[in-house]
Amino acid sequence: MTHLTEEEMIAKAYGESENTAAVERHLRACPLCADGFAELKRDLADIDRIEAPVRDLRYGDRVWAAIAGALPAYALRKRALQEDAGEDAGDRVWWNLAGSGFWANPWNNLWVKGLGYAAACALLVSSAFYAGRVWQMKQAPAPVAHVETPKAQAPRTPIVVVVLDDHLDRSERFLVELKHADLDSSAMESPLRDEARSLLAANRVCRKNVGQADDPELTTALDHLDSLLADAANEPGGLNAKSIAELQQTMNAEGLLFEVRVLRSRIGHRAPVEDPERGGTI
Amino acid sequence: MDTNDHAAIQAVLAGDKEAYGGLVVRHSQTLFRVAFRITGNEADAEDVVQEAFLRGYRKLEGFESRANFGTWIYRIAVHCALDRVKSRRGDQDSRVGDANDPELDQVQVADQAAGPERLLLSGEIASMQLAALHSLTATERTAFVLRHMEDRTTAEIGAALGIDPNAAKQAVFRAVQKMRRRLAPLRVAT
Repeated sequence: MTHLTEEEMIAKAYGESENTAAVERHLRACPLCADGFAELKRDLADIDRIEAPVRDLRYGDRVWAAIAGALPAYALRKRALQEDAGEDAGDRVWWNLAGSGFWANPWNNLWVKGLGYAAACALLVSSAFYAGRVWQMKQAPAPVAHVETPKAQAPRTPIVVVVLDDHLDRSERFLVELKHADLDSSAMESPLRDEARSLLAANRVCRKNVGQADDPELTTALDHLDSLLADAANEPGGLNAKSIAELQQTMNAEGLLFEVRVLRSRIGHRAPVEDPERGGTI
Repeated sequence: MDTNDHAAIQAVLAGDKEAYGGLVVRHSQTLFRVAFRITGNEADAEDVVQEAFLRGYRKLEGFESRANFGTWIYRIAVHCALDRVKSRRGDQDSRVGDANDPELDQVQVADQAAGPERLLLSGEIASMQLAALHSLTATERTAFVLRHMEDRTTAEIGAALGIDPNAAKQAVFRAVQKMRRRLAPLRVAT
């Protein structure tokens, strides 16, 4: 009598036996195989199912909110592809932009939004610094006056928190775009480089401020981001499929997207707290 | 296929991007569950869900209307999760693939010294099971998770992994054999 192999028993245990009737007949007739099969069933039953952590009912909405910005509308995309096929090579960039709805409604375009946020971010940072300087000058004590406690500077700090949160938000979206950049298409190369340049300037301002806040985790993340953005912004001859692939590799190797997401959730949930030693917060 | 899904896909392809949001909301939980089971990591699972829906959107024009969107996007998620596990583990597969490695056996049964009482603790058992799962190659682990925990047939596993059903079956066999060998100390102790 030929005994059942372990593979035949496994197939039977999962209900995928190729010859169920013959296998069952054999199991009834052969105590050795019956014992082996019973043991296999016990072993499989002992291997617990991994239970995934529970996600609340709003989870799907959050996923959608996270990706919606990166998706171009379909009909527009299709039309752009059709039109692109009939245009000269020189017009391709124009129609790629048209395909993403850029000219129809520029504010719906992620990159325009990005540039808008960059401008707003830069304006906020400048305003915050200017307000701080003016405030400091106004509050500067006379030579013999007592030194004001740092708490008096508190109203300036929430702006910095908001700016940093905005910066991390933009950075995250940039990293997601980079991660999913289509290497076969040149449509995203120029917008990616422009956004990297814009983010690089804002990143350096944030990094400078964070340097005073004694937050090594944040400083390290911004350093990593700085390095990646500098590479993306200053690639000789502009970005191409090869350089984007290298950037993706660097980003993945450093776990940068994850790092930025962790920081975002940390900063997003953190109320501005004063640094008692420095009188400011980040 | 689900008529809601079908209508949503038609709307998306007609230019209503927001209709895709309905599909995302409807299928996110399922994708998260399978992504978590394959990656074993919450953050990775969340990334996988997003990546799967992004890839799904880009490929939506190639989606056949007769097919089931849930199954289709599930396969994409499995692919994304498998890619993630492979990229995380790098060359780990080749290092831990040999179940007869005496060094690994030593690590594997080290907990026996703590005695059967300790092994009975569910936490200990769960951690040994997880360790056993992690000792599988990415493909074996994914095939095993899909077969043992997601109740998918080998044909479905083959389709999800992009391999022949027979290859999927062999991956499940190898995974079960390795799991049994690695969990044998537990059986003896209990």
